[in-house]
Amino acid sequence: MTAEEFKQYVKSNGVKKAAKEVDVVTTGTFGAMCSSGAYFNFGHSDPPIKMQKVWLDGVQAYAGLAAVDAYLGATELDEANNMMHGGAHVIEDLVKGKAVRLRATSYGTDCYPRKEIDTFVSLKTVNQAVLMNIRNCYQNYAVATNSSARTLYTYMGKLLPDYGNATFCSAGELSPLLNDPFYRSIGIGTRIFLGGAQGFVVWEGTQFNPGVPRTPDGVPKRAAGSLAVIGDLKQMSPDFIRGLTFTRYGTSLGVGIGVPIPILDEEMAKACAVTNDQIFAGIFDYSQQTRSRTVLREVSYSELRSGEIEIKGKHVPTSSLSSLYKAKQIASNLKSQIQKGQFMLEKPVQNFALDRVFKPLDVRTEKEAM
Amino acid sequence: MKTKVVLNFSPEAANTPITHNLIMKHGLMVNILRAEIDEIGGKMVLELSGKADDIRKGIDYLKASGVGVRPIKEGVRRDDELCTHCGMCVSICPTKALAFDPKTGKVTFTEEKCVACGVCIDACPPRAMEILI
Repeated sequence: MTAEEFKQYVKSNGVKKAAKEVDVVTTGTFGAMCSSGAYFNFGHSDPPIKMQKVWLDGVQAYAGLAAVDAYLGATELDEANNMMHGGAHVIEDLVKGKAVRLRATSYGTDCYPRKEIDTFVSLKTVNQAVLMNIRNCYQNYAVATNSSARTLYTYMGKLLPDYGNATFCSAGELSPLLNDPFYRSIGIGTRIFLGGAQGFVVWEGTQFNPGVPRTPDGVPKRAAGSLAVIGDLKQMSPDFIRGLTFTRYGTSLGVGIGVPIPILDEEMAKACAVTNDQIFAGIFDYSQQTRSRTVLREVSYSELRSGEIEIKGKHVPTSSLSSLYKAKQIASNLKSQIQKGQFMLEKPVQNFALDRVFKPLDVRTEKEAM
Repeated sequence: MKTKVVLNFSPEAANTPITHNLIMKHGLMVNILRAEIDEIGGKMVLELSGKADDIRKGIDYLKASGVGVRPIKEGVRRDDELCTHCGMCVSICPTKALAFDPKTGKVTFTEEKCVACGVCIDACPPRAMEILI
């Protein structure tokens, strides 16, 4: 069953029956996931080059690796700082089957004499093209609003002045980690739907922070867990990998992720039965330019999805940055793959460490950092 | 009857009090939803209310005065291939032309409600919205 179907089923039949009869619940999410990127192995030219600086369609990729490997980050902008075109857009173009211009320069060595190359590559010509995202699929996130007198352009979208709107970014009850709040079935080695292909969870996502405030049922009320994921870019689809632009912020990659959750026991069934009215997020004023913004109040996803919330006595229209339409598509796509035997569930090789904390960066002396 | 139109006019036509004439000569109620003028001419989005016949005559008058008249539908376009239905546009759209349909999870675009204000253009992450006027 998809997570949406499962919640309905639990409502009518109770947790006990659902736990007994349902094997797997499929979840899904599609949203802007900035800590994404892809690495490539381009193959060797003749004469060969040890690529020191690499650009793909004018967007610089990190090449501080062996000779012809490079990592292209989603938020890297092209050389003109054009926010309409960043690493995310190059990744989308590649997934669409387009050829992109590869330029590389080097200093030349005895073993790699060539100093520059200017050519075209596509997913057909490269050896490896692997999506490797170090923080995706956040378990809950902030709700953003703006108390100031001017429009703010943020990674949470366009925020109108004087609490003119509020934006949020989670698939709520359909979101993978909100259905497995303590990461019992999602861990290292979990096979997932990634960008239209099958991928894997490789590690906890960066900033993994399970110790945030939770509801009595254990559902985190802030950005908590996240996933580091990997998958073959060559198998992915432009329906679920999209280059995005957030005006005056930069570029980001729209990534579709789905995770199947095995209903191991009643506790798991209860966790997967969670609905939008039981999931809460904090509202933050993004005009506060600090890392520790104050929480204006907490709000449920049913309120957020109703299209309007109340902030300081004002009716504020809400927007999602996470596509519910695509999240539903992913959950049902994953369900049918499982039914056809095309998608095998994996038990995590190792569970995530629950003692991780999210530390800040301060300006310190060498001694203080020791 | 009510209708929304997008007007484009040359610098010469910009000097004619066309809104005044629509009201005084054609008995129409005019709501100016958007108006701008620069060196290459002017653009306006108007909502015209009145009898169907008067609206028709008013539009004929505009055309005869050298003003380009287009239905609002041609003001803003959504590229359905690009739209991911995230919903960013929904809370900033002043007329609710862009709205979330909880049944399908899709964002609907009702062109008749659009006043071509353009607020959605730079807010759309996949850049699916385009302003044509």
